[in-house]
Amino acid sequence: MNMTVTSGDSGTEGGFVLSDTDFERFREFFYRRTGIQFAPSKRYFVDKRVGACIQDSGEGDFASWFSSIRLGIRPELVQKMINQLTVNETYFLREDYQFDSLLNSVLPSVMTQRARTGQTGPVRILSLPCSTGEEPYSIALRLLEEWPLIDSVDVEIHAADIDTNVLAHAQRGIYGTRSLQRVPPTWLARHFAPTGGGYHQISADIRSAISFAQINITDTEQMRSFEMFDVIFCRNVLIYFDELSSRRAAENLYGALRPGGYLFLGHSESMSRISPIFAPCRLPEGLVYQRPTTGVTR
Amino acid sequence: MALVRRAVDTPPQAPDTDPRLLIAALTDADADRRRRAALALGAEPTAVPALLERVAVEEDAAVREAVLTVLAARDEAEVATGLAVHLRSDDAALRTAVVEALAAMPNGVAPLLPQLVLDPDHDVRILTAMVMADLASPEAVRWLVEMVSADRHPNVVASAVDALLPLAGAEHRALLQAVGERFRDDPFLRFTIDAALPSLDG
Repeated sequence: MNMTVTSGDSGTEGGFVLSDTDFERFREFFYRRTGIQFAPSKRYFVDKRVGACIQDSGEGDFASWFSSIRLGIRPELVQKMINQLTVNETYFLREDYQFDSLLNSVLPSVMTQRARTGQTGPVRILSLPCSTGEEPYSIALRLLEEWPLIDSVDVEIHAADIDTNVLAHAQRGIYGTRSLQRVPPTWLARHFAPTGGGYHQISADIRSAISFAQINITDTEQMRSFEMFDVIFCRNVLIYFDELSSRRAAENLYGALRPGGYLFLGHSESMSRISPIFAPCRLPEGLVYQRPTTGVTR
Repeated sequence: MALVRRAVDTPPQAPDTDPRLLIAALTDADADRRRRAALALGAEPTAVPALLERVAVEEDAAVREAVLTVLAARDEAEVATGLAVHLRSDDAALRTAVVEALAAMPNGVAPLLPQLVLDPDHDVRILTAMVMADLASPEAVRWLVEMVSADRHPNVVASAVDALLPLAGAEHRALLQAVGERFRDDPFLRFTIDAALPSLDG
């Protein structure tokens, strides 16, 4: 038995506590599986969430639960584990530093590439999965409010998700206070209209400017309809996939990007553990991945 | 404002669906065409030999990854066998790529393990341990234990111990102690075992 029940005097109030060894095992496995690394300071959080996973699974102890996941005996437990140990909340301007990176580093590079190659047409940005729309609308808001070239360069924003319910929500564009908490009041006044009960709807202009589509990122045939994007935001989804699905998704994202195009992943995600086909690109605001402009000789 | 809407594109050109054309495109001079052809052949069982053949000769890393992804999705022993031959390749990048592909093929790899763990080439056995380190199959533990207990090459045993440790428990204590004794003159392996033993009881 590798899991113990504390007496409650260690701050866990009788909750499950992983042994040091099991914590390390789990931490290593979770990192390899998702790219997310828990610092020792997150120990209490991990103990609590893993304890909940074990209890929910019906497995008797950590060893049994861990083997069931690690050896693929009960693959359904993986999704539950990731749900427990990740934050699924979405809201406007989440992980804002990546939008800073878009404006300050990536779009200038895209414009330089366009000037060099003579590429014309709109700059194309894809948000996938877009969930209930906060991400593509955040991109639109940041561009409209802060990108100096927005009046002279056309930008297409495409948004897609596998879930038609969240797409319908996104297309309605109505959000509550919690989702809008990071939107500056002036932006809220300029681009949203109150709908009552603390909810606001984003302007029809912005809603109608974004193309929404239902798509499965791991479906190569479906993903063929997405191509020549300059920038893709694909945040906090690859961690949910098994190894093969991650590889498929990486291939499809690669195919959807223009050579030289940029890929943003979630802050804790890493493409290097999935596939070597993207070039990591360290920008002042953080790491972004780039489709090489030419073939990569092995 | 300059946000413009355009409906999701339909594919710019009808995809080739004729497997013969797609297989021919695997040798196209344009790497992107080769890559797209490989991905489009994912559902085509008759393309497996051509895809396996491509693994050995493809020079573009992105195309090779696409080929390996498609092959890994066919999680069958025949495909795994075709990939496992590259574990003895002189090309380190290819060996690594194949290890990662095989690790995603629990059903295809499991039947090969009895042969792979006994391969005469110790480098192949080390790579096999690396495959098992990430293989989501109960067979992995069984064959890692076999490797740890029976293999004579210290580097193979060290790799197998590394792969086994995340799953090892008190029931593996005697096994690892025996290995420590068997390789008592190998300081690295002794260090590995000594470091691992205290963690086995959780």
